[in-house]
Amino acid sequence: MSAVGTLRAGDVMTPLSRLVTQAQIDAYAEASGDHNPIHVDEEFARSVGLPGTIAHGMLDLGILTDAVARWAGGSDRVASIGCRFSKPLLAGDTITCTGTVVEVDEEPGIAVLSLEAVSDRGDRVLTHGRAEIRLDRSRS
Amino acid sequence: MPDASHVGRVYRAPGMVIEADRVRAFAGAIAGDDAVAEPDAVPPTFAAVYCLFPTLGRILGDPEVGIDLAGLIHGEQQFSFHAPLRPGDVVDSQARIAGVQGRRGMTFVDVELEATRGDRPVCTGRALLIVRGTGS
Repeated sequence: MSAVGTLRAGDVMTPLSRLVTQAQIDAYAEASGDHNPIHVDEEFARSVGLPGTIAHGMLDLGILTDAVARWAGGSDRVASIGCRFSKPLLAGDTITCTGTVVEVDEEPGIAVLSLEAVSDRGDRVLTHGRAEIRLDRSRS
Repeated sequence: MPDASHVGRVYRAPGMVIEADRVRAFAGAIAGDDAVAEPDAVPPTFAAVYCLFPTLGRILGDPEVGIDLAGLIHGEQQFSFHAPLRPGDVVDSQARIAGVQGRRGMTFVDVELEATRGDRPVCTGRALLIVRGTGS
């Protein structure tokens, strides 16, 4: 995005959709060091009642943060981000991240976004999402 | 099973090095088939690597708190970013058990996170862990 300086409540974030493959989940497990078998071992995931392996919640939140950073014009604009991990994202699902500006505070120069992410099977994967964006990069 | 007596326990993960190769692999794993938008930046949620996962590992390794990984759900996560990180930086991370509450057959463990570079915070946050079962 480029119009960070003119944001208003009600403005909509550019949505981001991303297919999350098992290879991607494996790569995240390797890079993050979280090797919980529910993410990488299909047989184990089924044995604990899941339909299959699931993405790390932090991978889902990483994609949501990527969506915000791309739209806001850089990850250094992301002052805070958080969410509830409401439903698992299964390997092979596509996640779609959306957001809306709910508040713009000119002083100290922060826009607040309400965020969520859904899967293509209709699950609300991330809910209660919230991010603060720095309107003026120099204050970071 | 965690209970109120564990509130206040602090778990430290000092000297976490922000490694360029790992940052690159992490950013690539998030981007998937897309190109990484900022190849030279440390992704904000890399805080999972230098702060959340190492301190969480220490909480899970505390036999007195006794959280069973098989019954653990990462319920919520929040991070605030106070200063940008660069590869090569070294940060000291810690987690503090800020609250433990049992309800509806689950135990909710509220964890405060902080990572500092020198004496300045680079990231603070909160994790909500949900453990199946209650202590009482």
